[in-house]
Amino acid sequence: MTAHAHDHDRAFDHGLHHEPSTAPRMQVLRGREQTAPFSASVDVVIIGSGAGGSVVARELARDGRSVVVLEEGGHYTPQEYGALPPSQSFRRLAREAGMSVALGVGDTPLISLLAGKCIGGSSVLTGAVCFRIPDEVLHTWSDDLGLSRMTPDGVDPYFSEVEEICHVETVPHHMRSRASELFVAGAASMGIEMKSMRRNTKGCRGAARCNFGCPNGAKMSVDQSFLPDAVDHGATVVADALVQKIDITGGKARGVRGRFLDGVTGEPGVPFEVRAKVVVVACGSMHTPILLRKSGLDSVHIGRHLTLHPGLRIGALFDEAVDGWDGALQSVYSDHYWNEGIWLNGVYSAVNVLAAAFPGLGREHRRLVKNIPNLAFFGGMVHDDGGGQVRRWLSREPLVTYKMIPRDKERLLKTIQILGKIAFGAGAREVLLPIFGMPTIKKPKELDFLTPGQSSLAASRIECMAFHPLGSAKMSTARETGVVKPTGETWDVDNLFVIDGSILPTSIGVNSQLPIMGISMMLARGLVADFGEHARKALG
Amino acid sequence: MVPLVTKDFRRTTLRPRHRPIVRALAEALFSPDGEATPERLDAFVDEVDGFISPASKTLRFGLVMMLWILRFSPLLFGKLRLFDDMSVEDRVHHLERLDKSKVKQLPLIVVAYKTVMTMLFYEDEQELRGLGYPGFARKRHLKVTS
Repeated sequence: MTAHAHDHDRAFDHGLHHEPSTAPRMQVLRGREQTAPFSASVDVVIIGSGAGGSVVARELARDGRSVVVLEEGGHYTPQEYGALPPSQSFRRLAREAGMSVALGVGDTPLISLLAGKCIGGSSVLTGAVCFRIPDEVLHTWSDDLGLSRMTPDGVDPYFSEVEEICHVETVPHHMRSRASELFVAGAASMGIEMKSMRRNTKGCRGAARCNFGCPNGAKMSVDQSFLPDAVDHGATVVADALVQKIDITGGKARGVRGRFLDGVTGEPGVPFEVRAKVVVVACGSMHTPILLRKSGLDSVHIGRHLTLHPGLRIGALFDEAVDGWDGALQSVYSDHYWNEGIWLNGVYSAVNVLAAAFPGLGREHRRLVKNIPNLAFFGGMVHDDGGGQVRRWLSREPLVTYKMIPRDKERLLKTIQILGKIAFGAGAREVLLPIFGMPTIKKPKELDFLTPGQSSLAASRIECMAFHPLGSAKMSTARETGVVKPTGETWDVDNLFVIDGSILPTSIGVNSQLPIMGISMMLARGLVADFGEHARKALG
Repeated sequence: MVPLVTKDFRRTTLRPRHRPIVRALAEALFSPDGEATPERLDAFVDEVDGFISPASKTLRFGLVMMLWILRFSPLLFGKLRLFDDMSVEDRVHHLERLDKSKVKQLPLIVVAYKTVMTMLFYEDEQELRGLGYPGFARKRHLKVTS
C-alpha cells in the first residue's frame, strides 16, 4: 500500500494546491478521535514511527508478529501534507512547530533543531539526502569501541536493502538548481570538487520543498515506504498516542501505558495500555532518553553524548536571476574538508523560510527579501563531538543543552569563511553571513575576521541549526559505557530495545536518515532471529 | 487546500493584552512605510497566534515572556515609553539596537519573533507573487518528463 508520485501536471496556486489522488491510503488509527480507554496485547509494541520505528515495524510484521506502532504526532497523508504551505507544515508535522532549540552553554550558539512529530517522524521533513555511514566512522565503532559487527562489510547488506526499499537514487545533473550550479562553480574556483547527492526519491519534480513534506509525493519517507508495508502485513499504527511509561516488572519490559491526545486541547486525555512481549523505543534522540528516565532506567549515559551536526547557510546575492526554487532542494555536496570535520551541502528552502533568516530589519530586510530571485544559498555542517544533553523539564518537551568544544566552534567559523569564499568565487556581489546583527559583506577580505584562531566573534552571534540529533542513549559493549547492547536491547531491562538515532555511539558527520534506517534494519533482523528467546523470557 | 482528516487542536496563546505588542512588532518589521493595511496587520496577529499555539506550554510561556520583555525594553535604553507606544521609525531603530546588543538574550527576542513572523508574512500569496516566486511552476524536471 504505497503512495507513489503522480505524473499529471499541477496547477500553481501559491503553495496551496491539490489534485485528487488515486493513491491508496494507509490505515492509521487517530488517537484524538478515541473516546474510550483502549487496551491491547501484542507481540511487539513500538514507540515512534520514524526512521527507526518504521523499519522495525516492517521487519517484525513481515515475520508474522503482531505489532502496534504508537506515535505521539498526528497522521497526515502525503496528499494532505504535500498541500500545506511551509508554516502550516511546521505547526502540524514538527515538534514545537519547528521552534525547538538546543540552548548553548558557554561559548556556544543557540541551535535551532528540526524534528518531526507525525506519522513518519523526521523522515517526512528531511531533505531526502542519503549517505551511508562513512567507513572511517565505522572503523572507529568496530576497532576502537569494540562494536565488531559495525564494519563496512557488516552493515552493507542492510544498507543495500534499505536503499532499494526507499528508492535511493543519484540526483541527475539537470535537476540541479541554478543555485547549486553556482555553488559548484564557486567551489571549483577554489579547487573544491562537488559531487552529486543521493536521495530517497521517486519522480522528483524539483519543487525544493522537501523539508515541509514533498508536494509531489516523490520523497520516499518511511510513511510511504516501510510503514505501509508494515500495515499490509498486519501492523497497527496509532497516531496521537503519547506513551508516558514503559511497564517494567522483574527486570523485564511488559508493555506501555499512555494517553491519547485530546482532540480539542491537545493534552493527554483517554488512557491506553498495550501489553507486549517486546517493547521497542524509537522516539528519537530528544525523546527516547526522556521516556527511559520516566520509566525508571537510571544509567548515567541516558540523555548524554548528544551530537547535532551544527550547520549553517550563507546567502549569496548575484546580478543574475538564480530562481533557486527551480530544482532539487539539495543536490550537491563536498567532502573536501572531511578531515577537518566540515561537510559542504547545497541547500535551498521555501522562500518565506529563507527570508526569515535574512539580516536587517525594516527597510533593509525588505530590500534583501525583494532580491530573493537573485539569491543562492550554500550550506555546511560540522562533524561534532558529543557536547549535548537531554533532560526532563517542565513540559513534555525536553530541555536540550549543548556545549560546543572550541574545536567545533573553529570549524563553524571556518565553514562560514569557506562558504563566503565560494560565494565570491561564483561571482556574488553581496554575501549574507549567518551572524546576528551583521550587515551584508561585499568583499572577500571582509571574511578575514572569521579566521580560526584569530576571531573574537562570540559563538552566540552565529545563526546555527541542526537536523541530526544523535547519540543520547548510545550503544556500547559494556554496561558502564552506554545504554544499549550491540543488539539494541537495554543493558538494564530485558526485552526493552532502543532502535533509533539515539543509539549511534558517535557523531557520523553525514545526514542521519539512511544511517538510522540501515542500523535499524540490522538490529530488527537480529530481533526477528532471536524473537523466540525473547518471547520465552517474557513468559518467565 | 486539501481538507485535513486530522483536525487541529483548538488552542490559543495570545491574550488581548499581548496582541498590541505583536501588531506593533509586525508593523515595524514589515510596514515601516505603511505597506501593510491595518486589517492585514490585525489578521496577521491571528496567524502568529495560530502558528505558536501547537508548541509546548513551556515554549509558549517563553514566547509570551519575550513579548513582555520587548514591551518594556525601551526602558533599558533610557526611554520612558513602551515598545508599542513608540513611532514606527523609533521601533525599527529600537529593534536594531536590540539585535546588535551584547547582552546575549536581547538579540534572541528579535530573532525569535522576526523568524516566525517573516515566515508567516511572506507566505501570503500576494507577497510571494510580488517577490517573483512562481509557485509550483518548474522547468528543470521537464527535461526528463517532456
